[in-house]
Amino acid sequence: MKLLSAQNITYSINENKLFHNLSFEINAGEGLHIKGGNGSGKSTLLRIIMGITSPSKGLIETYDQDLNISYLGHKNAIKNYLSPLENLKLLFNDAELKIALKWLGKFGLLDVQDELTAGLSFGQQKKLALIRVFTKSSELIVLDEPLVGLDKTTAELFSGFLIQKLSEGVGLILTSHIDPMINCKVLNLGGKNAEAS
Amino acid sequence: MLMLGWTWGLLFAPQDAVQGNSYRIIFLHVPSVIFAELIYFFMAVCALMHLVWRVKLGAYLIKSAAPIGAMITFIGLLSGSIWGIPTWGTWWQWDARITSTLILFIMYLGILTLHGSFSNLEKADRLMSILVVIGVVNIPIIKKSVDWWSTLHQPASISVSGGSSIDPSMLYPLLISVIGLGFTLISLGILSSRSYIFIREKNKRWISENV
Amino acid sequence: MLRLVKAESFKLSKKLKSWLGPLLIMVLVLIAFPLSIDISQFDLDKFYFSIIIVSLLMTSFVATEGMFEEDFEDGSLEQEFLIEKDFYKLVLSKIFVYVCLIGIPIAFIGALFSFANGVAIGSFAKVFLLLSLSNLLLFNLFAFGNALSINKGAMLGVLSSLPLALPVIILLGTAVRSIQFGDGFAAIITLMIGVGLVMSAIMPLIISAALKTHID
Repeated sequence: MKLLSAQNITYSINENKLFHNLSFEINAGEGLHIKGGNGSGKSTLLRIIMGITSPSKGLIETYDQDLNISYLGHKNAIKNYLSPLENLKLLFNDAELKIALKWLGKFGLLDVQDELTAGLSFGQQKKLALIRVFTKSSELIVLDEPLVGLDKTTAELFSGFLIQKLSEGVGLILTSHIDPMINCKVLNLGGKNAEAS
Repeated sequence: MLMLGWTWGLLFAPQDAVQGNSYRIIFLHVPSVIFAELIYFFMAVCALMHLVWRVKLGAYLIKSAAPIGAMITFIGLLSGSIWGIPTWGTWWQWDARITSTLILFIMYLGILTLHGSFSNLEKADRLMSILVVIGVVNIPIIKKSVDWWSTLHQPASISVSGGSSIDPSMLYPLLISVIGLGFTLISLGILSSRSYIFIREKNKRWISENV
Repeated sequence: MLRLVKAESFKLSKKLKSWLGPLLIMVLVLIAFPLSIDISQFDLDKFYFSIIIVSLLMTSFVATEGMFEEDFEDGSLEQEFLIEKDFYKLVLSKIFVYVCLIGIPIAFIGALFSFANGVAIGSFAKVFLLLSLSNLLLFNLFAFGNALSINKGAMLGVLSSLPLALPVIILLGTAVRSIQFGDGFAAIITLMIGVGLVMSAIMPLIISAALKTHID
């Protein structure tokens, strides 16, 4: 089942072309790893895929009108004046909160659940942000450099989770400099006119 | 033409019975406040063009027209103040029209600052257009609301249909000044928008081919 | 919608600085002003209302500053966009919460001080209603200015939204006169309610468009 396809995406900022004529598609249960150097437009491409940024040319087509997307970007969308627990309560209903709390335990954040998030380390905040992706049910998961700042155990936990989701038929798009240890298609933005391989 | 209007007005038109020679600043004041608003409406049309049909030119035109508008509004305010000293005995009064012109001036400044504060120019264009459109809705509201205050200004003395209360010997140079200033501003606008379009589109092929 | 209202009021109640700050500033200005000038009580009564109006303007500006900045900076806007596809509901509930938690208390403080400074007791409700309504208008307008300038500081916000707020101030001045002389009050309140409703419906649309442009 197709989730989403991109046709001839071109994007330019202030008339400078970032990338040109990209086409690819994502099926359910399939992963896409977007690679490329710094400034090659990986994050922008993710935002275009999600419909946040509009491409200069080209079209993103989703096959389901309300495609449920979970996203974690460079910004964690975590309120640092609230405690981790309060942050989770803001995001989830009661049923989801149970799952979220389970992850909180697995990530070893239970001890700090009532402290202010501002006082947590970068990695801990990242884990908290990951919980949102892990808890919300969605058809497509979009991740921008998810492995930065995670320790080895968490990274393994994370890969395991993604592999399981892929087998459940969830689509996955991610950018990462660190090998995520997941089987997926690769799209390289490194040079111009990159194509999905 | 501006020159003609001004020479005529400043040198040959007769003195005003009440205000003496000081009224001659009218030839600068009236045209500039007229265009202060006209330019804004022009910008609003461009903003609509830009927002609704995504015409990039619309934003370029706003960006080039706004400094001119701000300048002419400032001239209008300044000349009004100078005129105010001999006639009203004060250079500033919180009167309806002065206030609304001042607000107009602030709006021009707001538009310019807004565009200046974003590095992504397309984003800046869009936000600026939104502000311009909201502003044009605001202009009549400001006019209406300040009208509730008692006003010092003389009621408009030129009307298109009926006769006018101003003597022809003053009216003609005034009209010529208005038209003259209009042409001056239009040519200024064309010059500045031309250079601005070049700056923004410098990477496009049509420029390297034609320039 | 209910989820957003809940979330926003929870967030605001946790941000003591943004919530209590404007209220304190309002009180401070209203206390400090009479102390700062040496005039008889009689004269103060005459223009104390203007002070209330101006501090209302100031505090509502301070209150709405940073309304969207935090959500923009930490990426919450993107998350919200993925859920709702636009920001209409978010903006609507944000303004609603801000008016309820900050706007109305400010209006109450203003009415209290006006009452202490020679406005008849019978008019207390009128003044309170008037100030609350004008806060609704001001918060909408400043939210717009804020959405335009987002993280670019107060100067831009002031320049872009002050021209919009001035008519409200002028309207307030007229309304105060009508309370003091006892006529035309109903008409002005009706006008304000009408404008308030229209604005509360339309402003979030415009603000939503501006926010969308920002995360674009």
